[in-house]
Amino acid sequence: MEFIKKYKVVIAIVLIVLVLVVIRSMGANHFRNDAKKWAEPSGKQSNIISIEQAAKLSGRNLIINLDKDASPLMNITGELENIPADSILSKNHIKLIMKYEGPVLLFSSDPGLSARIWMILSQMGCKRLYILTRQTDNEFLKYKFRPDTLMH
Amino acid sequence: MNTREKFSVGLLCLGLILALLPLSGSRSFTVKPQKLLTDLLDGNTYLTVDQVAKYLVSEDSSVQIFDLRTPEEFQAANIPGSINIPYSKLLDADPSSILNNGKDRNIFYSNGDFDSNYALSIARGLNIKNTFVMKGGLNEWFNTVMNSSFTGEKISARENALFETRTRAKRMFSEMNSLPDSLKIKFFQSKHLAAKKLDGGCE
Repeated sequence: MEFIKKYKVVIAIVLIVLVLVVIRSMGANHFRNDAKKWAEPSGKQSNIISIEQAAKLSGRNLIINLDKDASPLMNITGELENIPADSILSKNHIKLIMKYEGPVLLFSSDPGLSARIWMILSQMGCKRLYILTRQTDNEFLKYKFRPDTLMH
Repeated sequence: MNTREKFSVGLLCLGLILALLPLSGSRSFTVKPQKLLTDLLDGNTYLTVDQVAKYLVSEDSSVQIFDLRTPEEFQAANIPGSINIPYSKLLDADPSSILNNGKDRNIFYSNGDFDSNYALSIARGLNIKNTFVMKGGLNEWFNTVMNSSFTGEKISARENALFETRTRAKRMFSEMNSLPDSLKIKFFQSKHLAAKKLDGGCE
């Protein structure tokens, strides 16, 4: 008690600051801190997998078809959910994705859409999240530029 | 304990709290998930290669193009006027400091669709609104602009304008990327100079 009385001003300041820190950290924003950390797999391209690679993942896959038309997916075993991209953050869907214990595979005929949804879910803290694609070489330049030596 | 000591202890405690704080706000997404989703599903965030070709040909100074590929790929060939910021570097840096450049449009491109869309998501997540993606990346640029040709007998005015833009963009791309590296920067500067002279502006 003697200690508290002696340092009451300091303790009061620290408590106020702590409360402010907690409020700021637990704010309405549902994204995790440190965007870089959650985006890291995208830099290494370890989040992009083919059907063959997906088959080797441990655990039962949850495949999410982001396209509005329920396009037939590749031959891959797992639980299939047709969730259009615009409703991916609805309460039920986000609960399903976040609580799923196995790998979650996002699929869309538009690789850009898969990339965008991957980034949102990843930043919300979804682990074991992958982009399932037919073209794992999407970031490979298929053309070679030949300099025109006669131009100048 | 006198006032000075209390103040020192208080400062020490504050320092500890600050050290325990998460990384700065700019390193975490600042917009709400639903808002970001709506934003990213807006088709206006995509630009076609023809739109980018038009900006290039008109030398629109309100547009900045960012090449997210590796420096080696950038050096081999790039869209004239683009700035190379490899995607991995964009993650390391604070994107706000790069993208808050006073331009109306910051356009990302990579070889395909993944890196540019990740970059867009990060930028929009940090509430940087003037960011867009060139759909299809450099693969689509080669496919549409560099390999453009006309084989029909009749051409409408609209098709002709589109074809002309592609041809001019193709020429600029070829001229720029055929130059030795040391001259590439000077080339684009001289293009600006030529345009100003044509417009009758002062240097």
